[in-house]
Amino acid sequence: MFFHWLEKNPFYFAVLISIVISFAGLLEIVPNFAQAARPLTTETPKTVLELAGKNLYVKDNCIACHSQMIRPFKSETDRYGKYSLSGEYAYDRPFLWGSKRTGPDLHRVGNYRTTDWHENHMLNPPAIVPGSIMPAYKHMFTNLADIETAYAEAVTVKNAFFTPYGPEFKKTRAAWEAHRPKVLADAKKIADDMKSEDVKKAVANGQVPEIVAMIAYLNSLK
Amino acid sequence: MQSNAALEYDYTVAKMFTYVTILFGFLGMLVGTILALQLAFPELNYLIGEYGTFSRLRPVHTNTVIFGFTVSGVFATWYYFAQRVLKVSMAESRFLMILGKAHFWVYFIGALIATITLVFGISAGKEYAQYEWWIDIVIVIIWLMWGVSIFGIIGIRREKVLYVSIWYYLACFLGIAMLYLFNNMSIPTYFMTDGLGSINHSVSMYAGTNDALVQWWYGHNAVAFGFTVPIVGMIYYFLPKESGQAIYSYKLSLLSFWGLMFVYLWAGSHHLLWSTVPDWMQTMGSAFSIVLILPSWGSAINMLLTMKGEWNQLAENPLIKFMVIASTFYMLSTIEGPIQAIKSVNAIAHFTDWIPGHVHDGVLGWVVFMTMAALFHMAPRMWKREIYSKKLMGIQFWMQTTAVVLYFTSMWVAGITQGMMWRAVDEYGNLVYSFIDTVTVLHPYYVIRGVSGVLYLTGFILFAYNMYKTITAGRELTEEPQFKTPMA
Amino acid sequence: MNALTIKALGFAALLIIATIWVVMSMDIDLTDRVNAIAMGGAIAIAVITSSVVVKYVNQMKTDTATGELVDENWDGIGERTNELPSGWAYAFLGTFFWSMWYGLIGYPVDQYSQIGEYNEEVIAHKATYEKKYENASPEVLTGMGKSLYFVQCAPCHGNTGDGLSGKAHDLTTRMSKAQVLDVIKNGSNQLGYPMGMMPAGMASGQDAEDIATYIAGGLKGEAPASYAACTSCHGADSKGNSGMSPNLVGYDETLLTHTLQNGKKGIIGGMPSFKTMITPIQEKALTAYIQSIAQ
Ligand code: HEC
Ligand code: HEC
Ligand code: HEC
Ligand code: HEM
Ligand code: HEM
Ligand SMILES: [Ca+2]
Ligand SMILES: [Ca+2]
Ligand SMILES: [Cu+2]
Repeated sequence: MFFHWLEKNPFYFAVLISIVISFAGLLEIVPNFAQAARPLTTETPKTVLELAGKNLYVKDNCIACHSQMIRPFKSETDRYGKYSLSGEYAYDRPFLWGSKRTGPDLHRVGNYRTTDWHENHMLNPPAIVPGSIMPAYKHMFTNLADIETAYAEAVTVKNAFFTPYGPEFKKTRAAWEAHRPKVLADAKKIADDMKSEDVKKAVANGQVPEIVAMIAYLNSLK
Repeated sequence: MQSNAALEYDYTVAKMFTYVTILFGFLGMLVGTILALQLAFPELNYLIGEYGTFSRLRPVHTNTVIFGFTVSGVFATWYYFAQRVLKVSMAESRFLMILGKAHFWVYFIGALIATITLVFGISAGKEYAQYEWWIDIVIVIIWLMWGVSIFGIIGIRREKVLYVSIWYYLACFLGIAMLYLFNNMSIPTYFMTDGLGSINHSVSMYAGTNDALVQWWYGHNAVAFGFTVPIVGMIYYFLPKESGQAIYSYKLSLLSFWGLMFVYLWAGSHHLLWSTVPDWMQTMGSAFSIVLILPSWGSAINMLLTMKGEWNQLAENPLIKFMVIASTFYMLSTIEGPIQAIKSVNAIAHFTDWIPGHVHDGVLGWVVFMTMAALFHMAPRMWKREIYSKKLMGIQFWMQTTAVVLYFTSMWVAGITQGMMWRAVDEYGNLVYSFIDTVTVLHPYYVIRGVSGVLYLTGFILFAYNMYKTITAGRELTEEPQFKTPMA
Repeated sequence: MNALTIKALGFAALLIIATIWVVMSMDIDLTDRVNAIAMGGAIAIAVITSSVVVKYVNQMKTDTATGELVDENWDGIGERTNELPSGWAYAFLGTFFWSMWYGLIGYPVDQYSQIGEYNEEVIAHKATYEKKYENASPEVLTGMGKSLYFVQCAPCHGNTGDGLSGKAHDLTTRMSKAQVLDVIKNGSNQLGYPMGMMPAGMASGQDAEDIATYIAGGLKGEAPASYAACTSCHGADSKGNSGMSPNLVGYDETLLTHTLQNGKKGIIGGMPSFKTMITPIQEKALTAYIQSIAQ
């Protein structure tokens, strides 16, 4: 019998396992690839400051508690806004849909929360939302965001995946130095709406505290 | 054909992996217990500054229990039983011995460094695939070393027909190799620019919905080929070996194995129900998940039937108890998963605590129980000493069984409640609960889960202690026990 | 039934009853289709698992192991050639049929669209909702506004509406002195009233102080003379000149509509626009509720 023969021939056994398990992947995943990768025409890639915030979202692993996927149910669109569309995620590397909502969905949080609210909230969630079990992220007010890496990411996705960043995004250090003031200007816009004097001072000195990048990212989620 | 007795099996590598299985098991579950308590008492987020928040620690927990505890348990058992069912000793090949030891050290040091990177927030973001690109490379090397070691020992085997357990371990090796590689494809940004920014950082090769598809094709099957397949392989060796009973049905083994191989991979999209992946793919994920109940249950039923007529063993031998209850929890999680994969049920279950509930039915009741039973079975044979205390094993059994029951009942109630509250509308048709209402209502259940964590962890410490005493102070054995593990 | 069966099914029943009890205590409608199916699923998990396990464990008690052994033997482990358990085999076939049904009839893979289903649900809801509450009474509106407020507004304005000690607008009174002074000094142009913008510097110095005190005090008593500069736009009664400019006395529907549509940024902070989230009837309801908490 075939299987008995197979059980004596480890090589063919392994080959058969490999075939059987790659089958579904090929059939399910491959046909979807071209289609799902298309961005919506209204979608622009994130700014460097927002990308730095995205990287903090990954570093501090907000995905542990927050989803970014509004399912097409009335109960969700009432709470969070329009259901999510595939094309909205076309520039997200990695995708940040999450799989657990210990806290609320954040895919459109930029629509219904503001800079000052986030500032208060990230500093001490239960003071804003009584009963909140979200940890405070005080360290974001003192740690500095890594905007250079965010710039490197923008250049990488531009060159590798044709993400539409402008011609000024080049891989050289000089190009980065030239772009830096733009990031600081974006940071200043956020800091202006904040209360913390330390943050304002840091930004005035050409530094970007993590919280500024984080809020820029949260505001960009719309 | 040579008789068993004539062969001196070499357990050096199996022993080394046994130690780290226990070490990582303890660390991973300690962090798990802290996580559980943090959700009940958020002040516990601030014990070690930014490094101790729930969000930073969660991947430390998941990765330590998966790539630390479970995977080293798989390695430990492999290096133990493969020699025996293939009738060949590692000592017969210098190459295999050196490779085995190297495999261990690269693995152990790699795992320690990898854990530290997570504490520092060096993460690629995808669940169960957080390790950054250069750690991925180390992991691939570790996995390949195992592969060479597997095919090496199979190559020089004396028993020509591969036993069922070997099928499952082979599938584990191949499945993870393929999935891990594809899902972790990423580009380091440092090298794509003139050395700008951090050398650790990389971007995924896939974006958005595509990334999600690849991730859950991986994530689901990492569970399949990490938490299920090798553990089934384990029970197929250790239960008949401990009980002295023959496997109930070859046909059932065969159909369950190939059924599992075929169906498992289709089901990955049940993690993406109601998301932006195409409708047809979601439906396939749901449909195949239901079919999956039977190949999963096939193995469990085969094990239960193997124990037919052996009620006395179940009552007398705590190791048999561990394995029978492991099968039971395996059945529970492999019907719970499929039912959660039905679209309408998933509309409630997804994103809620019912999912971690399902997860821990599987991992605590099945993976950890089975792994501990395997190590208990191996210890007297590897160290030639009797198990230190049967009584302790009994206490541990009841503590941990109670803990699993508390974990899953609390998360079950919590999840269903939360899922339904998110949807609830008032008499006018508008949402009735603010989000925070759905958080505060869970407090009592989070407390119960915290208690369950403490209980389970204590049970695991008893296990570690019992193993330690067995290795160092168990009564010495003159002869290797054939079936039932001797215990004082 | 033996003791084991009773224990196992008892536990399953307990679990289900506890779940249903907790869920019901949160006022949840279990007849809702999705809720009912989820609950049914939960019951199936508990009942099927415990009965099947009990069945096999009972076999351990009573049956004996039979069946021929295969030729091989691995490290002392034998294997029997028994047939498949028939219950298992039929159930396997059954799931195949179920999955065919699921993919061809339940959610036909070539037709079903989750967005389509959503649209139908929402359109149907809208039609009945708008008709039913078109001319709702103030009591009904206040009741409706309450849950809306707690879901959407309380995270900023607080459960009592006090604005969390200055972190957002205090809705229990109209405006604070500081807020009024800020508007007088800097003007304002964001709410989208027909009158357009309010110019900066309509008053200054002591005049501004007096005006601000007067408005923050709820426009009670004698108005300062300089306040006349304001009534030209805000109306003799300060109620906004029939919706041309903001009502300075209390919260009316016009003010809420303009705020929710456009958002607002002031000295306290920013309030986002709720343009896409709140329907006109809900705006009315929120107005009614806020009026009910404002003194
Ligand atoms: C332990 C779980 C947990 C973690 C980790 C967590 N959050 Fe939260 N988050 C919550 C909970 C619970 C709420 C709801 C209560 C509240 O608003 O505080 C919330 C609310 C929020 C909100 C408000 C959303 C809304 O609609 O009201 C934002 C924004 C937010 N979190 C951002 C973050 C960011 C950014 C991180 C990571 C740096 C993070 N959270 C980490 C649990 C968490
Ligand atoms: C030229 C017409 C005009 C005059 C004169 C005027 N206002 Fe206004 N006022 C407006 C308009 C229009 C707005 C709404 C501005 C907006 O859209 O942000 C407004 C807004 C306000 C607000 C903010 C209300 C809110 O809910 O945010 C206050 C307070 C106010 N005016 C007070 C005064 C006072 C005090 C004076 C006199 C010193 C005055 N106004 C004179 C047109 C006027
Ligand atoms: C993200 C925070 C936030 C949310 C959510 C929010 N508000 Fe506000 N709201 C504010 C802040 C901050 C102000 C004060 C702005 C200022 O004047 O500085 C404000 C002001 C107001 C005002 C006074 C406007 C005026 O001009 O006098 C009203 C009325 C109001 N909010 C109603 C609501 C209602 C109703 C909701 C819910 C549907 C809501 N708000 C949600 C932050 C918020
Ligand atoms: C027939 C077998 C199984 C099926 C069909 C299945 C199905 C599912 C489903 C539908 C989810 C929830 C996805 C979501 O809504 O978020 C899930 C999650 C999960 N299951 Fe299973 N399950 C099975 C068996 C198991 C077993 C045996 C284990 C572990 C031993 C396990 C571990 C997990 C894990 C870890 C997750 C969480 C994934 C995440 O991070 O979101 N599953 N499973
Ligand atoms: C003492 C025992 C344990 C406790 C108290 C515990 C607790 C926890 C907690 C609190 C979470 C987070 C859930 C959430 O985000 O809401 C979690 C997640 C997880 N744990 Fe454990 N855990 C334990 C043991 C284990 C073991 C032994 C394993 C695997 C072998 C494991 C695998 C996982 C996985 C895969 C997740 C992620 C689930 C998901 O994303 O849905 N845990 N655990
Ligand atoms: Ca998860
Ligand atoms: Ca990785
Ligand atoms: Cu899965």
